[in-house]
Amino acid sequence: MQAELVKKSPLENFLSLPAAALVKLSRDCGWSLNAAEMTQVRGYFKKLGRPPSRGEMETIAQTWSEHCKHKTFSGPVRFACGGKTERIANLFKETIVKATNELDKKWCLSVFKDNAGVIEFGNTGKWALAYKAETHNHPCAIEPYGGAETGVGGVIRDVLGVGLGAKPVLNTDIFCFAPPDSRKPLPKTALSPGRVMRGVVRGVRDYGNRIGIPTAAGAIWFDEGYALNPLVFVGTVGIMPVWAVDKSVKAGDLIVCAGGRTGRDGIHGATFSSADIEEDSPASAVQIGHPLNEKRVLDALLRARDKKLYRGVTDCGAGGFSSAIGELGSETGARVYLERASLKDTTVTPWEIWVSESQERMIFAVPPENLRAFKEIFDEEGSETAVLGEFPGDGRLLVTHDGETVVDLAMEFLHGDCPRIEKPAEWTPRKPEKSKLGPSRSGVDENAKMLSAVLAHLNVCSRENVIRQYDHEVQGGTILKPLSGPFNGPQDACVIWPHAATGDTADFSGFAISHGINPAVGKLDPYEMALQCADEALRNLVCAGADINRVAFLDNFCWGNPENKKLMGALVLAARGCYDAAMGYSAPFISGKDSFYNQARDWRSRDTPIPCTLLISAVSPVEDVRRTVSMDVKRAGSFLYLLGETDDDMGPSIYREIAGFKDSSLSKTNPTKALRLYKALCSAMQKGLVLSAHDCSQGGLAACAAEMAFTGGIGVDIDLARVKYRGGKADPRLLLYSETYGRILVEVAPENEREFLRLLDGCAVSKIGAAADTGLLSVTAPGGKTFMEADIAELRQSWKLALGVALEGSK
Amino acid sequence: MKTPKVLIVRAPGTNCDMETADSFKYLGAKPELAHIARLTSGAVKIGGCDILVFPGGFSYGDYIAAGRIVTAQLEKIASDLKKFIASGRPVIGICNGFQVLVKAGFLPFSGRGQQASFTFNDNGHFTAKWVRLRINKNSPCLFAKGLPDEIELPIAHGEGKFVAQSPEVLGELKAKNCIAFRYVKNPNGSQEAIAGLSNPEGNCLGIMPHPERYAFPFQHPAWHRHGGKYAAGLEILRNAVKHVS
Repeated sequence: MQAELVKKSPLENFLSLPAAALVKLSRDCGWSLNAAEMTQVRGYFKKLGRPPSRGEMETIAQTWSEHCKHKTFSGPVRFACGGKTERIANLFKETIVKATNELDKKWCLSVFKDNAGVIEFGNTGKWALAYKAETHNHPCAIEPYGGAETGVGGVIRDVLGVGLGAKPVLNTDIFCFAPPDSRKPLPKTALSPGRVMRGVVRGVRDYGNRIGIPTAAGAIWFDEGYALNPLVFVGTVGIMPVWAVDKSVKAGDLIVCAGGRTGRDGIHGATFSSADIEEDSPASAVQIGHPLNEKRVLDALLRARDKKLYRGVTDCGAGGFSSAIGELGSETGARVYLERASLKDTTVTPWEIWVSESQERMIFAVPPENLRAFKEIFDEEGSETAVLGEFPGDGRLLVTHDGETVVDLAMEFLHGDCPRIEKPAEWTPRKPEKSKLGPSRSGVDENAKMLSAVLAHLNVCSRENVIRQYDHEVQGGTILKPLSGPFNGPQDACVIWPHAATGDTADFSGFAISHGINPAVGKLDPYEMALQCADEALRNLVCAGADINRVAFLDNFCWGNPENKKLMGALVLAARGCYDAAMGYSAPFISGKDSFYNQARDWRSRDTPIPCTLLISAVSPVEDVRRTVSMDVKRAGSFLYLLGETDDDMGPSIYREIAGFKDSSLSKTNPTKALRLYKALCSAMQKGLVLSAHDCSQGGLAACAAEMAFTGGIGVDIDLARVKYRGGKADPRLLLYSETYGRILVEVAPENEREFLRLLDGCAVSKIGAAADTGLLSVTAPGGKTFMEADIAELRQSWKLALGVALEGSK
Repeated sequence: MKTPKVLIVRAPGTNCDMETADSFKYLGAKPELAHIARLTSGAVKIGGCDILVFPGGFSYGDYIAAGRIVTAQLEKIASDLKKFIASGRPVIGICNGFQVLVKAGFLPFSGRGQQASFTFNDNGHFTAKWVRLRINKNSPCLFAKGLPDEIELPIAHGEGKFVAQSPEVLGELKAKNCIAFRYVKNPNGSQEAIAGLSNPEGNCLGIMPHPERYAFPFQHPAWHRHGGKYAAGLEILRNAVKHVS
């Protein structure tokens, strides 16, 4: 059968094909390899004196894909900005990795080399925490439900496949969609935003709930720019014993596949996501999820791990066996007999078995003497295993099917020889535009209506009807939940107490997870976007009462086509922002992921990339989960302090969008100053001096105060004259709705005020108001006039119902 | 006082087993997890334990219907299970475990076959939230002893709507005070707002909300406000441990 395939294949005259024909071949076969890469491959086989087989070409295409290799991020860049041109040899290493290396935190146990980043957990020295965030954008554009399901399944396997495997204790989900009720025209093949959103939410729900991992942290960002390319970020946090952090495959270990069977679903997922989405993008590139199979693997894996029955494990993700076995055997080589794989589709050809991305499969390196015990556990859990071959130690990748050679390559070539292609990048700073706010003529009632509109904005309103569909409390460790307080307000960070993983209910160590994402800032300045995302993530951690002296970041870049110089320029700036953020906040990046080619042709056939989007996820320890702080106002009579200063920077604000004036002003982030404030607040919180704390972000101080008030069911009085303001004339609208970074609103009981102020000495702190039993959010303008009196129950309704209304109005 | 042995029955897709075990461990009992295959093969005998637990999750993915496959598997050990329930030792089925006990006919009346079932929530989808429950003070349920009039617990299910086979069955449930826990505000459309159901003897409880998720006061969503030392879920499980200690 294999011989037939080779004969039929167009590869026979491969060695003599000119570059143009090589590119055409790559496109026809769905390999997403460019001219330089194809030429490199041709050179290698010329040396071998034979043409490649289909299986070999597939292996190379998977291994060298943008998806697996991150060629753009780690490749050379020529960057032109402000009349200067510079060459960057490796953007990733010179920004994100560099910061981690320079910070050199000893609690980082495994960074950038495995399937997830690993840091120490708790204070017993026994545990480690693994965190990974993935994207599954391309699949979700074509098949939202299946794409989201397999995205969740994939990132869970990353955590199962880090070191010797971690027990997943939290899933996160962050989405970027077009507004579900958008009426903008779409090309005929694109799915409506409402359908995409509903499908993605259901997919995350059905996979996460079935596998028993709480989905308890996330965010949704709406922007028309995601109509053709939704973004779906899924993350998993796992807990593992410290001894399981590293793997060490030895020559002679068996290659064992466990979990699902192999079929034709998910052929070319890696290469398909390394190209723009086209009308004829193949639906077969999207896999089919089966959470029960993954749960079986999960249960069996953890049992086998604790008995130390294997020396290495990794998941079959993009590229299937080819990537997983290739990675695990990158030093030992691998000998694979494909006929031994369990199949769910008997018509699948040998090379398809090799690259299929069928889900729920893990590859283990099992010493032969442990095979029986290993199999026994998997059998009992109902998870199929197949011994596919062994890791021989000769550095050669030899894959056969019933005696016919499918792949015979040197690992060295596969993992080392991908050509590094320089990409041009350029950036032209935009001209600032600013129009005056104009005199405010609106009355107290109109001002309250405006606040209602801000709270009902899709980027502010409640995510309750998504969150409630997720089992966010399974494993019994969700101590700060996504919805908090008596009226279910938006909690900034979630706090997990992973006793279901440690089995120790006397140890109250936990961790907090938060996110920063703000494409609106990115549209103005990608560099500031990185800093502000990091700042927001950090702020959220502080608000929860987490220890911010030990924060680790994850980066997720989602960009359009990197052949576009301007997009590459934005990437350089954002990556440099990441470096400055990490150094400024003393928080290393431990893992990350990039996704390019998030663009497609719109209804008028114009290439439309997504807004450049950076997600920064953050994790930090919580020494005692019983000392966390929630965001709801707790007590009438307590004082409200606004920490941080407010700028005249309405550029990326929700208010500007609603009021519809031109403004591109944006503050410059000062991480050092911000961090000093957060550290001071952190110590006040650990001493129990803060009743509630909430981050000022979308919707500004107004939304922040309203959310705190209506979540606690207690009114709030605010005097805007007290807000520390760095701009010119203080307009109440500006003070209320500016989204200046670095600000937190906290509630302090009168009896703790002195000690609180002592700890925050030297920071920007201002008592701007108090909680009151009025049921109102009352705002006094700087001149002393009442600016707003809004009923908190009405504000809550606006905030609570908006997303449901938008979904109902969707197609 | 002896240390009660708690047997927690796992199946593929069970996912509340660890926190359930942790809750019992915290109460001083000795939990043991056993895969259902070990029960049906005879490797583990349920008779050897003091408390039997069917925890929550999506057993076998709940693809056919919630708990359906475990229900079928339990047929192999039906007589042991019947004996166990008749012995008066505590049995609790939580969420998926409740669905299993009802569909296998061990609740509400062991030995009379399936008398009721569960179907999809009225809202059509999986729902996770905290609910208030009213305790039936006349119920024989040993798990409900000493609880206040109302408690809060979280639900997390897609098929939580309890439906009795006939009005007669429902009438009998009411007459015998089998309805131990009722939703104050019905979240799923259950008949009689049933959240937890006891057998007439009081030793076997099925409950849709998750007591093991409220074993510690700080698991409550508004615990920052009331603090306190009370966790209603733990008290439910403690009643079982007390009963056999």
